[in-house]
Amino acid sequence: MSDTHRNATNQGFGRVLVVLYAIFAIGATSRSVLQISTRFNEAPIAYTLSAFAAIVYVVATIALARGHETSRRVAYVAITIELVGVLVVGAASLIWSDAFPRASVWSYFGMGYLFIPLVLPILGLWWLRRSTSSPA
Amino acid sequence: MTGLFSTATIVVGLLIAVWAAVLLIMNKPVGRALQSAVLALTGMFVVLAIGGIVQMIGTDREFARAEFVGYLLLSPLIPLGAWWWAKNDESRAGSGVILVIGLVMPVLVVRIQQVWAGV
Repeated sequence: MSDTHRNATNQGFGRVLVVLYAIFAIGATSRSVLQISTRFNEAPIAYTLSAFAAIVYVVATIALARGHETSRRVAYVAITIELVGVLVVGAASLIWSDAFPRASVWSYFGMGYLFIPLVLPILGLWWLRRSTSSPA
Repeated sequence: MTGLFSTATIVVGLLIAVWAAVLLIMNKPVGRALQSAVLALTGMFVVLAIGGIVQMIGTDREFARAEFVGYLLLSPLIPLGAWWWAKNDESRAGSGVILVIGLVMPVLVVRIQQVWAGV
């Protein structure tokens, strides 16, 4: 293992994080394909948000797993969007619950998923910060 | 779908989680035995998927069939990915990876059973 890889996002704790992200990416993507293809009319806002969340999870997973400098930047953007998303959608679902007759991943701050959607981006950003490679 | 075999997948998943947790606490890397156990778990989920789809074809009952098949087909990919991811890791993070999937897979089986029951 070369030194350049030691601080990569896909090593150590990063591996566990990538697995968590991958599970959410697979779960959110397949769920959202199903929701949109079979019952989109029931809850267009929630299902569109779920699809968006799924794309963000996929991007974050790939970026974290690659662990290069460019992918690190991509991961920062994706995970920040994810954090903002879960906070905004979580708050919106509390205030305008009528618009969310069916739960999206981010509704109620991810309560239906043990709040993991809220914890994951915080862990992700912390990890990106911690694993930053020191300038040569 | 609620038979002995799906219960066995839950038990094996949890045993793998305990095993990984012990390695994590003892700060030991994932050995060949645990890697094989994860591969065995992957194999069990392939069997579960085949058995589940066969059972589904054999019944006329109403339930979310697309969701059921989706869960069954995607579930073996998770332990397979974890096996590969842990195999390439020399630190104890590999045990962390396996601990996570050891806990996630039983939950997935319960969810598959719920879909089968029409919940």
